[in-house]
Amino acid sequence: MGLVSKFLGIIIAVSGIAILFFGSSDPVWSFGYYILGLILMSVGLTLVTSRQDAKDKKPPPPTVTEIRCDNPECTFKEIRDFQKGDYILKPMDAQCPKCQSSMTIHGVYVVREEEPE
Amino acid sequence: MQFPGLEGDYTGLINIVFLVFIIMMSLYGARIQMWQWLKQIEAGLIELEHMKKESTQRSIETFKKFGRPEEEVEKELARWLDYFTIMPVDLDPAGVLKRLDHLLDERRDRFQEFVSELAPEGALFEHQSLENTLEVTQVLDLIFRIVRHFYLIGKKTGSQIMIMQIHMQLPDIMKLAKAYFDALDAFAEGKPIGDGIGPLVVTRFAREYGGTPEKYVHEISKEVGYYPIEVEGRTVYALRATGPGGTVGKPGFAVKKLVDDNKGKIARIITIDAALKLEGEDMGRVSEGTGAAIGDPGPEKYAMEQTATENDIGIEAIVIKEDEAAAVGVMDKKILDAVPDVIDRIRTSILKRTKPGDKIILAGIGNTIGIGL
Ligand SMILES: [Zn+2]
Repeated sequence: MGLVSKFLGIIIAVSGIAILFFGSSDPVWSFGYYILGLILMSVGLTLVTSRQDAKDKKPPPPTVTEIRCDNPECTFKEIRDFQKGDYILKPMDAQCPKCQSSMTIHGVYVVREEEPE
Repeated sequence: MQFPGLEGDYTGLINIVFLVFIIMMSLYGARIQMWQWLKQIEAGLIELEHMKKESTQRSIETFKKFGRPEEEVEKELARWLDYFTIMPVDLDPAGVLKRLDHLLDERRDRFQEFVSELAPEGALFEHQSLENTLEVTQVLDLIFRIVRHFYLIGKKTGSQIMIMQIHMQLPDIMKLAKAYFDALDAFAEGKPIGDGIGPLVVTRFAREYGGTPEKYVHEISKEVGYYPIEVEGRTVYALRATGPGGTVGKPGFAVKKLVDDNKGKIARIITIDAALKLEGEDMGRVSEGTGAAIGDPGPEKYAMEQTATENDIGIEAIVIKEDEAAAVGVMDKKILDAVPDVIDRIRTSILKRTKPGDKIILAGIGNTIGIGL
């Protein structure tokens, strides 16, 4: 949406400039063209420069739960969707599929997208 | 102004139009600007109202799961939304913190009373999360009412100052409101939030040195307890609020109590907390300094500073930088990734600045929602 409106803005602005400079040679209408050109130009430039705010909302990033094996020598790690009742450091009922040790929720988090600076 | 190709009558007409335009602009330019600003405030206000309504609706839905019919919840909630606390008079500053603490206790009791009345079937940790949900709804309601107040006054009186004031602050206000609005999801579902990094670090640290949920000593002050652990010959009291319900407890008074109980033996107090980052700083950056890192309205910070000064105990802070949205929103991966770094710094501090046989208080400050013992 952002790119389309920028592209449209450029077209409108350029046509505005064209009208402004090569307007009618008819003395009565040339002033009208002059105004029309200015208006088109300003509308176009507004479209180009207007910033796309958070208007088109993105859905929030999903919360995930990271489960790790308690055995320090085992590297088993599972990341799944958050389920109600999960909390960090919660001992899990399930056993590690690799070494049958107990497992604990290591983290509950979201990965936010970098905001452009 | 002359236009080539135009003659006679037209030139005169154009000049008049141009002149009128200039005069209109210089006379009514400010008014047009005000009108524009009012429109922008109005747009913000509509969004704020939407957030307020939706958060109220979510509160109602969360509350009604615990035993009371929807209409009753709705009515009670409306009555509760503008609950206020009058700050104690500070003209006579003697004992003002004590009075403030008393008022805050009273406020909290009323909150708990209200929540347990409205959700009779909830467990304690559910009540704590409900309290948090209620607080978020209150904040959003308050923001909406304040912005509406200035908007209406500005509109009624046409006062430029009023309109300018609110218009200039609007982006900040909207950011804050959005942060709280997004936080609602975390509180309603019991997910850990960015502010909980303090208690999490302390628990992880305690676990490395044999602290377990069974060894945790409960309730040395309101909703706060500690793990007694041994670190390289030193005794460390790793202190935090009791989770995984949403509470911050009263860690400041817990520190004071521990110092009093171990008269003359505490060598150092280390506080761990989340701190607001400046725009441009990295999320999850760890920094350290001197003082008590705790963001309460005053009484607890005072208790910590006072007890540290009286007993000549070094007091230092390690903070994890995050923005407002991350602090009240679901825990960000980058904040979580800072945990090992903080633990390293705690270890360094203990080894460098205390000697074997010393007792140390390690206090993790923050909301423990979604963070287990
Ligand atoms: Zn394993």
